[in-house]
Amino acid sequence: MHLEKGKISNFQLSVLIIGFIFGASVIIAPGQGAGHDAWIAIALGLIEGLLIAWIFTALARHFKGKTLVEINSLVYGKFLGNFISILFIWYLFHLGALVLNNYSRFLKLELYPATPKILTLILIMLVCASSVRRGIEVLARCSLILVTLTVFVVIFDTLLVAPHMYLHNLLPVLEVPIGKLLWNSHATATFPFGDAVAFLMVLAFVNKPEKSRSAVFKGIVIAGLVLIIVAVRNAAVLGQMAAIYTYPSYITARVIDVGDVLTRVEVLVAVDLITMGFFKISVAYYGTVLGLAQVFNLRSYRPIILPIGILMVILALTNVSNTAEMFDFANKGYPIYTIPFQIAIPLITLLLAKLRKLPQTGGEQA
Amino acid sequence: MSALVLIGFGAIALIQIPGLVRKQWWRELICFTVFWSLGLVLAVILSMGIKLPPLTTIINETITGILKI
Repeated sequence: MHLEKGKISNFQLSVLIIGFIFGASVIIAPGQGAGHDAWIAIALGLIEGLLIAWIFTALARHFKGKTLVEINSLVYGKFLGNFISILFIWYLFHLGALVLNNYSRFLKLELYPATPKILTLILIMLVCASSVRRGIEVLARCSLILVTLTVFVVIFDTLLVAPHMYLHNLLPVLEVPIGKLLWNSHATATFPFGDAVAFLMVLAFVNKPEKSRSAVFKGIVIAGLVLIIVAVRNAAVLGQMAAIYTYPSYITARVIDVGDVLTRVEVLVAVDLITMGFFKISVAYYGTVLGLAQVFNLRSYRPIILPIGILMVILALTNVSNTAEMFDFANKGYPIYTIPFQIAIPLITLLLAKLRKLPQTGGEQA
Repeated sequence: MSALVLIGFGAIALIQIPGLVRKQWWRELICFTVFWSLGLVLAVILSMGIKLPPLTTIINETITGILKI
């Protein structure tokens, strides 16, 4: 029995993935450790991200109309399947809390320094809870409006900041040591591209599942290209300083000054983070509550939305002590931490399903 | 602060529990109660100014410690 009645089109899936990948990465620059070569790290990370997407879309296509929790039950059996599902649900829950943390940290540092973090966390969580309660269809429809707006803002910012761009800031190309570049490209593959593995809880609700892989790929590639443009823009405007700032896109937009009339447009970048962060948190939140409802065999995921939201807020409040620890985790721990969830679980499940010739027609496939 | 937490959690319980009891969704009620109680305990601890261990930092230190990154 499906707990989600809604269906989304492949186009909506692509747009939702773009919004999800933008998430926090529109403002927290991926590949920042590679300095002015960040755009190369993102381009390489995009290729690895597409490989990760190939694995999880292969699994979703193999078990059409099933979420990862249902797939795990079929492949590993009830007990082991639920154990692996809970590990994956933890990853989604933790991902949501990390984005929430980034979100509130940015708002506290740049926009509302006098407002308690807990207040911004509760407010965004209520908005996300409302969207999750209404289901994946509503989330997908919201994405059509908000993602278009965000892409427009990125183009608008880039055009306005063009007079301050110095392309020689991108030279020399490949200055960063190859090992460091590859590490940063892997970090970029896991955050933000590989995070799209969360869609293993969503792909079951696509109306034409046979075309879902191309929709996922389109979403990832478009998001990747926009992130490359953002990285080139930031490096061209800020030079070596791009690697030092916590929020380089925000600082870049601050440079915009059109005839002393159009200034302080960096708030538009903040709006980008607020809207795109909403999608990333909501998809992770949705996957968490839907997954838990399936593991515990509930008739609806709605009763656990608010308690899980509260737990996510508590984790977001306490998961790191300061911004430096968060960035240290993003650059060092996260690229390793996510390997089991983004690569190992989908890949091993897919291989086992092929070996066991699952799904079998008839009995086993409910 | 603790009073605010209790009021908030009380409001959530008042919104959710009557509907679940009316529908006799006992399994959903148990799940809700478990997560709600866990949230309540952690929120009260935080509101009393007691610090919870930073999970992400612990995960990061474990990974970087093992792999010597």
